Amino acid sequence: MRVFADYTGPVADRCDVVVVGSGPCGAVAAYELAAAGRDVVLLEEGPPFTPADFELDGARSMARTMREGGLRFTSGYVMPTMQAIALGGGSLVNSAICGRCPDFRLAEWAEAAALERTARSDLDPHYDAIAAFLGIAPTPDEVQGRRNLLFRDGCQALGWDNEPCARNVVGCRGSGECFTGCRARAKQSMDISYVPAAIRAGARVYTSVQVQRVLAAGRRAGGVEGRVAAPFTGAPGPSFRIEAKAVVLAAGVLATPLLLRRSGDLANRSKQVGENLQFHPGTSVMGVFPEPVEPVFGATQGYQSLHFLREGFKLETLWAPPGVLAVRLPGSGLELEQKLLDMRRAAVWDCIASCKRSRGRVRERGRSLQPAVHWRFHPDDARTLGRAVWALAQIFFAAGAERILPGVAGLPDELGSLEAARVLERQPPRAADLVVASTHAFGTTRMHGDPARGVVDEDLKAHDLDNLYVVDTGVFPGSPAVNPMFTGMALARRSALALAARI
Amino acid sequence: MSSIPLPLRQLSAREARFFAAAADAAFPHGTTRDGPPLPSGTEAGVVAHLDGWLELLPRRNRTLIRLLIVFFEYATWVLPAPGRGGRRRFTALAPEQRVAVFEAWSGSRLRLRRLVFASLRMLLTSSYFASPAVLRATGLAPLAFATPVVEADLLYPPVGQARDAIRWRREDLSRPPLHAPLDPHGPLHPDYTEEGASTGERARAGESAGAGARG
Repeated sequence: MRVFADYTGPVADRCDVVVVGSGPCGAVAAYELAAAGRDVVLLEEGPPFTPADFELDGARSMARTMREGGLRFTSGYVMPTMQAIALGGGSLVNSAICGRCPDFRLAEWAEAAALERTARSDLDPHYDAIAAFLGIAPTPDEVQGRRNLLFRDGCQALGWDNEPCARNVVGCRGSGECFTGCRARAKQSMDISYVPAAIRAGARVYTSVQVQRVLAAGRRAGGVEGRVAAPFTGAPGPSFRIEAKAVVLAAGVLATPLLLRRSGDLANRSKQVGENLQFHPGTSVMGVFPEPVEPVFGATQGYQSLHFLREGFKLETLWAPPGVLAVRLPGSGLELEQKLLDMRRAAVWDCIASCKRSRGRVRERGRSLQPAVHWRFHPDDARTLGRAVWALAQIFFAAGAERILPGVAGLPDELGSLEAARVLERQPPRAADLVVASTHAFGTTRMHGDPARGVVDEDLKAHDLDNLYVVDTGVFPGSPAVNPMFTGMALARRSALALAARI
Repeated sequence: MSSIPLPLRQLSAREARFFAAAADAAFPHGTTRDGPPLPSGTEAGVVAHLDGWLELLPRRNRTLIRLLIVFFEYATWVLPAPGRGGRRRFTALAPEQRVAVFEAWSGSRLRLRRLVFASLRMLLTSSYFASPAVLRATGLAPLAFATPVVEADLLYPPVGQARDAIRWRREDLSRPPLHAPLDPHGPLHPDYTEEGASTGERARAGESAGAGARG
């Protein structure tokens, strides 16, 4: 295990497999390969965070744990898009939701991407193994808090499916701090689960190293090289070079395609590297209840409804640092301050949409190592997200909310009854009316049975190379309908086991 | 100007004046319908927080935020505030005119205009909520609890430090307690109590506030 302070000169190492990126997919791959007896090096550009490094202040936390200080935006349709930079990747600062990709969506993938071995029955053994390792379980009622249970009550009153979110959390205390790092050490983020396990199995972990190029000749990848990068500033340090018999890329949907393109347009005979970018754009609605909700207590995202999954959206509860949530509140001056005081009686729930028609791409941003992310919101998908806002409104009023703040431009700031909220049904919000954040991303190195149409095969091996694998959620041929982390990990595990058997 | 904290590390005096004016437009001193009066933006330390936060950002983002300040300071030349002297720059407007400017931006029919304003609002709101006094008054302050020591804590030093800074040993390991939900009315994180105000000030000045007490 090496941290920034350990680097006093150029680094050179040699191994069976080098894994680039320690997020959920890379960490699983590194562990499985090491547990299978392979000599593994795991590389991470970010530092490890300890509880002493966590910031409860949302702005400072994002500035330290997210690339570009958490201020990265897409072009095309402008919305914020986050990418973590930390040991454990996004798992350090996500809400730990672990959902299995539904059968119907995997069947769509199979048809669209000529897949033969990616049905739910193929993935279930991998889901099961990861669930057992991380203690994935439904969020218990005792830590839901009122803001999550009100969501359940509203769904039940409407007769809509609802369930506690399954999460990789053991011993949650309901602090609602998932997005700034779990002080309770309950969230089994990769830095405290799979990475230590990989180290125990013999893997060497180098943090604060920025991979700049994959070394390759012909159909063979030979390793990676780059520079040490100082935590937070990214100031370049000594060079490093890792030679390996196989290279596994798990740098993420936005970084992996750039790495391939910078490495001589590697694995890109299909011309699909960096294309097909998809997001789950999401928006939220706040509801104010007559009695205190005390939203500071409760699992960050404890309940969800999959009732409308086939229609293209998912509904869930949400908590985040108050300064982040309050950004969406309307008004200024004393009117705004009154709304801030109302937050004690408020719950915030959100919706994410599959958005199968919306597409984008990732490209280099000049000479920078950061991506230029372009994405367009298809009007049909925006209407789907608009319908999801109406669904949230119905849940709020069914749960007893006295009013909602829909956060939709062109509508009143507050809607005080279900009847008033029907304006959302009559005039579904357009893309331009919504305040949207990108949540999950996929597609930029897609898996496809046809080498002419995809970057990797079903084992996640690059079609164009014999020993290069991509195992992050960029390989998804489309939206998984639910949160992507668990499916990414399952695919990464299958890929790692296949690779371990080959070398 | 007394509401501007000194010394500033990133903001120029002019930029700090802009943020002070904007913070008090968004969060003025006054009385709300229910509950206690909230601190104003400048009382809550918005300018100091923004100054410390800017320091954490990559240079490109700092530059973009400086452009945002200039843009808003002079946007009234093109989109004047209502009332007499509405074309003066933002910091020269009367307080009620500044609020009116914000209302116009946030209620614009143009999405791009609303997005630009949302960027400024994000800076102001997230800094306002960094204030322990604001979090206490709104009932949104984080709760106190002990942080267990897990295996990973034996592997990693705090960011930027050498491994000899790891202070935990195997005998310190403790399991996160199962079935121990927090009490929503329980004690607050020490940095967010009134007694911990000085720690909070330290946090806004750029030091870590997040660790809390262990054990």
